[in-house]
Amino acid sequence: MTMSWLSRLNPRGPGTRTGRNAAPSGLCTADPETCLMVFQNHWRQVSWILEQREPSSSSDDLTAVRNHTDQMLCLLAEERPGDTPDMDTSVSPMGPILELVVTENILERVVQWHIRRGLDLDSQGALLKLFEMLIGQSHQPLLQHTAVLHPLLRILGACGDPELGCPAALENSLVLLLNQVCVTMARQPVVLELLFRAAPAQHGSTNLLIFSLLVPFIHRDGAIGQQARDALLLVMSASATHEAVARYISENSYFCPVLATGLSALYSSLPRKIEVRGDDWHALRQEDWMGVSSLVLFMNSLEFCNAVVQVSHPLVRTQLLDYLHNGFLVPVMGPALHKSSVDEMIASTAYLDLFLRSVSETSLLRTFLRFILLHRHDNDTILDTLLTRISSNSRLCMVSLSLFRTLLSLHCEDVMLQLVLRYLLPCTHVMLSQRRAIRETDLYGKSANKFLSLIPECCRQNTPPSTDREDDTAFWGKALTSPSSESPAPHRPSTPSRLSFFMRQQSAGSTPTSSSSSSTQSTPAAPDQGHPLSPDTPASQQTFTECLEWDCGYLEYLKDARKGIEFCSWACRNWSAPYDGENPSPSSAPSPPPPPTSNPSMALFPEHFSIQGSSSSRSDTPPNQRAAIVAAARSEWSSSERDSGEWDVTIGKNSCISLTPRSKKRSLQREELPPKQVPPLVPSSAASTANAAAHAHASPGPRVPASAITVSYQPLLNGTAAQNDSQERGLEVKKVKRDLGEKRYLDENANQNGAVMKCTPQTCSVFGNDVGEGKSVGAIEEGNQSVESLIEELLEQAPGESPCPAETNGQGISIEAFTQELRELEDRVKERQSAAAAACKPDDALREERQTQQQQQHPLEEETGTTAGGADGRGDAAVVGLCSPARPLNQPVSQPYTGPFMVVLFTKLENMLQNSLYVNILLTGIVAQLASYPQPLLRSFLLNTNMVFQPSVKSLIQVLGSVKNRIEAFAASHEDFPVMLRKAQQYLVARGRVDWSDLPSVPALRRSDSLVKSRKTSLGDLILRHTNSPTRARHAAQMALAHVRDGGQSLHSALFRTGGGGAGAEKQAEALRVKNAVYSSVIFCEFLKELAALAQEHAVTLPFAAHNPGPEE
Amino acid sequence: MNLNPFWSMSTNTSRKQQRPDNDEQSAHGDHRSSPARLQFGKKQLPAIPKNAVPITKPSSATTSVQSTNGTHASYGPFYLEYSLLAEFTLVIKQKLPGIYVQPSYKSALMWFGVIFIRHGLYQDGVFKFTVYIPDNYPDGECPKLVFDIPVFHPLVDPVSGELDVRRAFTKWRRNHNHIWQVLMYARTIFYKINTAEPLNPEAAVLYEKDVQLFKSKVVESVKLCNSHLFDQPKIDDPYAISFSPWNPAVHEEAKERMFAYKRRPEDQHKGTQVSGLSWVKPGSTQPFSKEDSSSQS
Repeated sequence: MTMSWLSRLNPRGPGTRTGRNAAPSGLCTADPETCLMVFQNHWRQVSWILEQREPSSSSDDLTAVRNHTDQMLCLLAEERPGDTPDMDTSVSPMGPILELVVTENILERVVQWHIRRGLDLDSQGALLKLFEMLIGQSHQPLLQHTAVLHPLLRILGACGDPELGCPAALENSLVLLLNQVCVTMARQPVVLELLFRAAPAQHGSTNLLIFSLLVPFIHRDGAIGQQARDALLLVMSASATHEAVARYISENSYFCPVLATGLSALYSSLPRKIEVRGDDWHALRQEDWMGVSSLVLFMNSLEFCNAVVQVSHPLVRTQLLDYLHNGFLVPVMGPALHKSSVDEMIASTAYLDLFLRSVSETSLLRTFLRFILLHRHDNDTILDTLLTRISSNSRLCMVSLSLFRTLLSLHCEDVMLQLVLRYLLPCTHVMLSQRRAIRETDLYGKSANKFLSLIPECCRQNTPPSTDREDDTAFWGKALTSPSSESPAPHRPSTPSRLSFFMRQQSAGSTPTSSSSSSTQSTPAAPDQGHPLSPDTPASQQTFTECLEWDCGYLEYLKDARKGIEFCSWACRNWSAPYDGENPSPSSAPSPPPPPTSNPSMALFPEHFSIQGSSSSRSDTPPNQRAAIVAAARSEWSSSERDSGEWDVTIGKNSCISLTPRSKKRSLQREELPPKQVPPLVPSSAASTANAAAHAHASPGPRVPASAITVSYQPLLNGTAAQNDSQERGLEVKKVKRDLGEKRYLDENANQNGAVMKCTPQTCSVFGNDVGEGKSVGAIEEGNQSVESLIEELLEQAPGESPCPAETNGQGISIEAFTQELRELEDRVKERQSAAAAACKPDDALREERQTQQQQQHPLEEETGTTAGGADGRGDAAVVGLCSPARPLNQPVSQPYTGPFMVVLFTKLENMLQNSLYVNILLTGIVAQLASYPQPLLRSFLLNTNMVFQPSVKSLIQVLGSVKNRIEAFAASHEDFPVMLRKAQQYLVARGRVDWSDLPSVPALRRSDSLVKSRKTSLGDLILRHTNSPTRARHAAQMALAHVRDGGQSLHSALFRTGGGGAGAEKQAEALRVKNAVYSSVIFCEFLKELAALAQEHAVTLPFAAHNPGPEE
Repeated sequence: MNLNPFWSMSTNTSRKQQRPDNDEQSAHGDHRSSPARLQFGKKQLPAIPKNAVPITKPSSATTSVQSTNGTHASYGPFYLEYSLLAEFTLVIKQKLPGIYVQPSYKSALMWFGVIFIRHGLYQDGVFKFTVYIPDNYPDGECPKLVFDIPVFHPLVDPVSGELDVRRAFTKWRRNHNHIWQVLMYARTIFYKINTAEPLNPEAAVLYEKDVQLFKSKVVESVKLCNSHLFDQPKIDDPYAISFSPWNPAVHEEAKERMFAYKRRPEDQHKGTQVSGLSWVKPGSTQPFSKEDSSSQS
């Protein structure tokens, strides 16, 4: 999704109006003088009624006035401006009718009459529509005249009742009119100034009435929300150069906080659990979320934020970004990413990934990245937390890998610095004598050769007897047209990346020349065939056939590598330094954080999603035992699923989400909701009783005063939820440690925000939900204070009759209720201006945050006696951000360490054989992505196989060597390995073909673009619907399906040709282990070719000159 | 690699002229691969022709590559090809003044080049030359450099036109010696004349004994070379460097393109407007150490 908002605005301009123009234009094609006469005639009759002493209540009068006004305004709208002597249209004289309207103040008098009479909904609506027509269709600028502007503002003011807000019946007309005004304003910037100055008497509270009227609709669903956002955006762009208006928006309006906290509210309504059936699912694509209304709503608002950041005045932009950081990312996203349930981790990680991919504005992206890299939640940066999850064995790993792929694809120096480069900068990982070699490229293909040499013999010597040989050639040849019956009809895959290579391999192998295999022809495709030496020599023939097996496709790898490297070095052209081992200088580089003593990334998240993971983490257990564990895990999984989630989300075909309440509390609440909120949130009847206990914990007593609220969460976290999880799922829940210093700051912040955001009880339906859920789910976010304190204030104000305020909450998120509250909020803004202003200075807040961190840091530093990192006296707050708090006490600082990212990737890579196919595809993709970076430090570390590292540093080539040995050992112990290998290859080739058949025109970019594009599957396929079927059955079905998708069946049949009856869990687990190993062998070989190609291409890539420095362009 | 458009254009024209020759030549065995190649040549020079490994020297090259690169002989051509390509990349990176080279269409082991001499005794000289790289590169001898027309110079063989490169590279050491150094050397000899152990004793003697005569001989030689500038390339190759008189209709546009040219990644996809992000202050290694310029503009 590229967020180009403004382009979308255009169609709603004058063009769409033509339809409506038709009627009146027929009426007034007469000459101007006639029109004026008709107008005067109408006006005479209207003014006669208006001038009556006591306002008549007669409906006849009303009807008459309305009819005449209709006619008059039509005439006014149709009137052309007077003849212009100049080309300058802005000074064209008024037409006669407009002149009359201005001099007699006609509109004002009509509106006054209506108001004196008492406006009923009906005539109010009629007036709104009338003005909308007038402004939308007029041929001359009207709003520049106070005779038009003031009555307009009067009408608008009547709609914006401070207490009640706009009556629902008028909303559409109101927003449409406001939109129209904003369109006019965008064309005539003068109008903004006039609107800004013309503070209407009765609404002195807000200078920019149209603005405050629009704000409540920001997060509204459907067309009305869209119109409001469009209109606001027009205000934003019109005010981009208008300092006073921008200042007003940022200081006197509630625009930015509403936008940011609105995101928070919308986020809390997103599904907590993304249930998908494919084993390969790992990221949210547009097709996935288009059908999820809550996500669409969120993405609309995020897109809007993106657009506002794009067009608005720097003042507004800065404020919005700060609010997004402090009001959405820190209090909502941070805790969400730290939820203790794996499902929620998966969901929040996938969301974050989606957000990062969707944001296009650099400064908004910066806000997100700063949050990920620097913000500390519970003492760890978000980045640290995300890194540890790569080592999990579940879908969580895949989702996390996908997020990192997104991060790497940004080619952001700051990200790369934190992830990898800062660990390599000191060059302590290389032997001193080798530092010079950092900049060397693989000039003579030595490294490439080394990588290729790691292709195991067992994968290379795939030469079966000649009969088989023929069969094989046939396969390669005919694969294009009909998949052979033994390879299962491949399901449309969703993890394309590397699979594309198989497609290529095939296409390279099955070009007409080669499939006809007339060996007298030298095929250009064969890499070793380029020589015009006599093609009939046996040698060449031999290499030719060998090429079919495993050589071909190498040229494609080279091509891909070139594209990847070129693009990457182009994208990095504005980086601050070349990172070549000299600049930045290794001696001046601050020592990076050392490795944690105990590797937290290990076994933090037991495998959870599919059984294939479980076999991997326990490679030390004997096979039998492992199988038993797997079986146990499975049964546990299926039984626990029933009551594990507190929050079930079902997405039906009609794309409505039903939230299945897990406690009675929610079902009770539901009854108290206004009926209109029910439809989109259909509660499932399958309410679980198992959560009675959780319910008991989750419903607290009467609310405690504000300052205590954060504390009150604590027992809940360590109690209910943690218990739930650890008991039912065997999860090790990371306990939330609260640092006092940090909390002090947070509380302070909370109070500040709370003071600003005073709300009435109705808002509870928005935020209260979050409270209830947060509790039952058990992950309490300390960063949540701003929202929490808001809630708290709401609760404080809650009417006494509600015994338990939390229970008044709806289980659904009501945007209506939220926006309604915003209106009230806004009225209070004025009173709280100073407080708001204080809250608007997040730089201060940030500074404070850093100070707090520093305070935390220093004691630690003193204890350990280390002098590195933050203690280097400069007092640079950012330095603190670099020190891992997890620094072990007795760790020598100088121990070379390549950072958690490399360590976790290498560990995962070393265990390749146990990983699922999809994990390996993502994993090797990320390593290849890293290896595309042109920075010599990184390139030499990954690709220079001649480099000598310090003994404690593991090199990629070592890791790969170890994988090679494992594959060879595996192959040696499975005599049918060659057969299985070929079947796996066949499946992957076939699957690659399916993958690419849809994208004939985009063969190039596999990991970035094609990944996005290649998922055509509809949401319904991806997010499994909760049907009424028993969990167990559903899960079983899911498992079965996964096997089919994996092509597991063909492998199974290959494996268990003799096995026959004993289809026990052990057998299945063993089959899975074998399957993973065979697939990894295939991936491994391809990966080696890819790395070799990258090493070669780096030597021939020219650097790009930096353009004008600056993050943009 | 991405060569500048000027050369690609000039070679294109030369190829057009030569297509008949090519066809004739096809009888000699270039037949099968040429159609595919011509397609590529039309747009731009492919760094490596996509479908074909360029014709490196026959069997001897292959065997030597196999021996040097160990077990994976089938990738051998790639290594040789890429080594040469890497050398070429180094040449481009060096930005040698007044020197332009272009690998041959037929073999990566043969490079065409031209040197423009901008001052000194040989001022205004435009010398075309060919570099021959031994097929056991990088383990063999140093490359040969032969001028199309034997320039009057102590170190240039008056008959063959070969430059005495070996005196500068007594032993060719991989990783230390690169082809750009040979080119650099070829340029240096025109500015700093060395008469020791000459290939052209006459030139050496004259330089020592009668500089005036030497100078006039040089001027003559430069004139001669320049008068043959528009000749057909000495070696028949589509990528041979050929000159043609300035023709505004053709060259003006090419020149403009050259100056306006901004190199972009070959396959830049659209949706990546956000890239090359950096908020690191130069000299710092802290993330977000730079002020966010976008919020201040």
